[in-house]
Amino acid sequence: MPTISLQRDDLEALIAGPDATPSRIAIDQLEQWLMLVKGELKGHNTETGELRIELQDSNRPDLWCCEGIARQIRIKQQGAAASYPFFKKQKRVAGKLVVAPGLEHVRPYVAACTAIGYRVTASGLTQLIQTQEKLADIFGRKRRSVSIGLYRLAPIVFPVSYDLVKPDDVRFTPLGMETVMTLREILMVHPKGVEYGGIVSGHDRLPVLRDAKGQVLSFPPIINSREIGEVQVGDDQLFVEVTGTDLHMVALTLNIFAANLADRGAVITPVEIQSPVKTAFGKRWHTPIDFGAPRTIPLKAIETALGDALGSREVTTALKSYGYTVKSAGPKVAVQLPPYRNDLLHTVDVVEDVAISQGYSRFAPVMPSQFTVGGLSRLEQMADRVRHLMVGMEFQEIISNIMGSHQDFCTRMRVDGTEWAKVVEVDNVMSLSYSCLRQWITPSLLQVETNSSRAFYPHRMFEVGEVAVPDASADVGSRTITRLGAVIAHAGAHFSEIHSCLDLLLYYLDRSFTLEPVPHPSFLEGRAGRIMLNGRVIGLLGELHPEVLEHWQIGVPTVALELEIDRLLDEA
Amino acid sequence: MDNLHPLESKVLLALAPQPGSPCTLDQLAESTGLEPSQLSMAVEWLLAKSLIAVHAETVAYIASLTPVGEVFFEKYAPIERVLSAAREAGQTGKRLTIQDIQAKESLEPSDVSKAVGTLKKEGSILIVQGGCIESTGRNSATAEAMRALLQELRSGQRELQTFAEPLRAVLQQHAVKRGNAREPFRVDERVTRSFLLTPSGQEVADQLSRDGVADEVSQLTPELLKEGAWRTKQFRKYTISLRAPRIAAGKRHPYREFLDLVKLKLVSMGFQEMRGTLVETEFWNMDALFMPQFHPARDIHDVYFVKNPTHARDIAEPFLTNVTQVHESGTGAGSTGWGYQFDAERAKRLVLRSQGTAVSARRLATSPSVPGKYFSIARCFRYDQVDATHATDFFQVEGIVLGSDINFRTLLGLLNLFAREVAQAKEVKFLPAYFPFTEPSVEMHVRHPKLGWMELGGAGLFRPEVTTPLGVSVPVIAWGLGLDRMAMVALGIHDIRDLFSADLEFIRTMRGSF
Repeated sequence: MPTISLQRDDLEALIAGPDATPSRIAIDQLEQWLMLVKGELKGHNTETGELRIELQDSNRPDLWCCEGIARQIRIKQQGAAASYPFFKKQKRVAGKLVVAPGLEHVRPYVAACTAIGYRVTASGLTQLIQTQEKLADIFGRKRRSVSIGLYRLAPIVFPVSYDLVKPDDVRFTPLGMETVMTLREILMVHPKGVEYGGIVSGHDRLPVLRDAKGQVLSFPPIINSREIGEVQVGDDQLFVEVTGTDLHMVALTLNIFAANLADRGAVITPVEIQSPVKTAFGKRWHTPIDFGAPRTIPLKAIETALGDALGSREVTTALKSYGYTVKSAGPKVAVQLPPYRNDLLHTVDVVEDVAISQGYSRFAPVMPSQFTVGGLSRLEQMADRVRHLMVGMEFQEIISNIMGSHQDFCTRMRVDGTEWAKVVEVDNVMSLSYSCLRQWITPSLLQVETNSSRAFYPHRMFEVGEVAVPDASADVGSRTITRLGAVIAHAGAHFSEIHSCLDLLLYYLDRSFTLEPVPHPSFLEGRAGRIMLNGRVIGLLGELHPEVLEHWQIGVPTVALELEIDRLLDEA
Repeated sequence: MDNLHPLESKVLLALAPQPGSPCTLDQLAESTGLEPSQLSMAVEWLLAKSLIAVHAETVAYIASLTPVGEVFFEKYAPIERVLSAAREAGQTGKRLTIQDIQAKESLEPSDVSKAVGTLKKEGSILIVQGGCIESTGRNSATAEAMRALLQELRSGQRELQTFAEPLRAVLQQHAVKRGNAREPFRVDERVTRSFLLTPSGQEVADQLSRDGVADEVSQLTPELLKEGAWRTKQFRKYTISLRAPRIAAGKRHPYREFLDLVKLKLVSMGFQEMRGTLVETEFWNMDALFMPQFHPARDIHDVYFVKNPTHARDIAEPFLTNVTQVHESGTGAGSTGWGYQFDAERAKRLVLRSQGTAVSARRLATSPSVPGKYFSIARCFRYDQVDATHATDFFQVEGIVLGSDINFRTLLGLLNLFAREVAQAKEVKFLPAYFPFTEPSVEMHVRHPKLGWMELGGAGLFRPEVTTPLGVSVPVIAWGLGLDRMAMVALGIHDIRDLFSADLEFIRTMRGSF
């Protein structure tokens, strides 16, 4: 998932906490700690102190930032999570944020809080912006489900309103621009409007955040106001807001930001949200909000899954030192995630956290003991027999890519417009060279021949591999078939040469075939045959048409053979 | 002297009449009347015996068209096409971006960006706001040189030195270099050598001219055997220290040899092979694996979608209903589910299989054995730009293990076995990992004898949200091995595309050390 960049001393300071002196953490020690967050150190710049860390877990957005990584490590070091007062129900709020009716159809949810007392530093600001971007981009699916705004608190007068307005009725100066623009103009001209406008398109009224004086904070999820919505180094009073389409994702995102700012020394004060419609949180609630609930799990379930009778003490210790709130009660444990996490879907999620907290090395590997019989599929066995026989007939085996171009599979083979040109095509083509799946092997082998005129002759090559053939009767619209393709190319290559190979191959496989002439555009007329087995077509062979060779810029006569290995099985 | 091949004698005699004056291969061919292949063989033998020596070696560089060049000649070079597209746009007043040119002219992106770069540098075009290209009306020297070169070389190869600057510079710039085959020209070295008799060669040649070529038998024939005439014949002695002529063998592809070995290992550990289809539904490729339909890895930028038909007709029951429920509410699997509305239509969307786990999911749904072990070596497709580490399609080696004794520790035990059997690694490290369908999840790193610590694979216990809807009630290990890097080391290559090379000489000479 995301790779983030952070400063080593910033991370060390956050791990130590605001009241302690940071100590240097050696890089290999850091890599050990990173196992707690499923993080991998991708890069380390000893001059600038920059660390690049990839975080794997797409369900743990709280870890996609320096603060979150530090927090998980700090909790392990201290044995339990420090509590954040603002997640508990409080009377005092910084102000109200009123949601207008109608937003439930556009972008229904909002969460907000204030953060006072953390003076933003240059590296802190970089981290805030990075977190904002990673969360909105990946967790919020390119701002579609979640987007985040950061503001200077001082100019904002509560209550803030989350309104719907006509695109021409409101104007403000967006970040990155010099002049006042209407929402419509922003959508048309501003780079962010062009990039994210699709999220609000189709609505005749658009969301906007304004304060009691009517000053625009932002046009979510597009762009902030330049006056209020540009946090700068030195600011120490911030307003944070999250809007989106999923109540819990919006709340979780704000919880993460609140915890991050608190870890940097800010005092978080909640904002009261007033909704015109009833939500899972009611019509009025405070954010940040701890919406998690305890879950009771049999201790046995954890022990069975881990294969180790850890006992309730070790389980409790492991989970506490991973940030959980835990109550142990006889054969069961009641667990609750910290408010900046919402990834507990199943008991197994707790199981993994126990294992991660204790370290995987805590668990001694045990060999599975149950007996099973190994074996290859009949198709693979047949494919292997064919391969061995082809090798015995002095063919070099080839492995090719299955994806390629219509040009190679059809046009160059002169089969456009015929039944042989039916291929599985891709909708979202990245490059014309890779736009469909091969329906036969011969073009793959001709590709090799094209590139190999300097390799000494004769050339005898084969590939046993998969092809895809469109078939309306198959449940996925095509069949995957394992085929043998073989070509012989040299100055005297001749039909009888490849015919002899086929004859010998099927002799050893004990299948008696016949050949029927077939008019196939890839081959010279009268020099191509369908291979028949018990009245069914199982392949074809022949001398390639000179025009095909010209298309491939092949300068020697070439003969080819294709055989369906699946059919050899059917017809046993 | 007594083991001279008749071909060697011919060459020595051809050189003898003018002692001290060197002959080139062409001159020797004329005077001996030998075929080029015979002549060069004889010359190599004589050189090896120090009967002749190389007098001088001159190198000429010969320029010629590549197949790409032929195409450029037919359709004009990209630089000309870009320039004329820009001029045309200028006349019609259209805005033209690099993407437009690419699409309109169906050119490779790398060709277009290279052409644009050159034209910009030469001042023939400007790049204005919005990435649009405008013609300045100025000619491009490169485009003109290119046209002249294509024209000239089309009629046959020519020595590089005969081209004047700046044509020569353009030619060299656009000649095939290692790693860049998409160039119109190639420049080949042609070495011309001339030869002289050495003093000992002179002696032998003199002797030859005096005594004539002896009547020796070079080849034992059926007739000689039948008549017994071999008893009175002298057999010419061979110089057996010479290099053997090259032959081509029928043989497996080295990468396939490697995969066969992996296959053998897995079968010997008790794994049954499973197979699947190249085209899959999103259902089996992702939904059945509990990847929510809003998961970022399901984006259009990660998976190839099939054009026609776009959807499967239906998804087998009870799996569709079960999986729908488990995504929406976790029902049946003791889970909260993802809490969104599952789109059954989306589940039918056809994609190119992006992970081998799809094969495992299908296997779980068709009454697998318990206990059971399964593997597949499945071709998978990812929406990635092709480069040294990304192939358009690649093999994934992966599988499942079902059993009542399966838990986190037996998972680690199995991975230990893989490390030992597949990677011959003695040291193993297990790291926490994330896969959408397993919990707990593990990444296995092993100390490879050549590479040091490397990731060998990922594994985990399938989430109950995966197994329960498919009708499986025992724990299941899902594992996957990333063997491409190991294969590349075993085959001595550095570019993943070389595993699927289309160069016969390369494939013939590649060998593995497994």
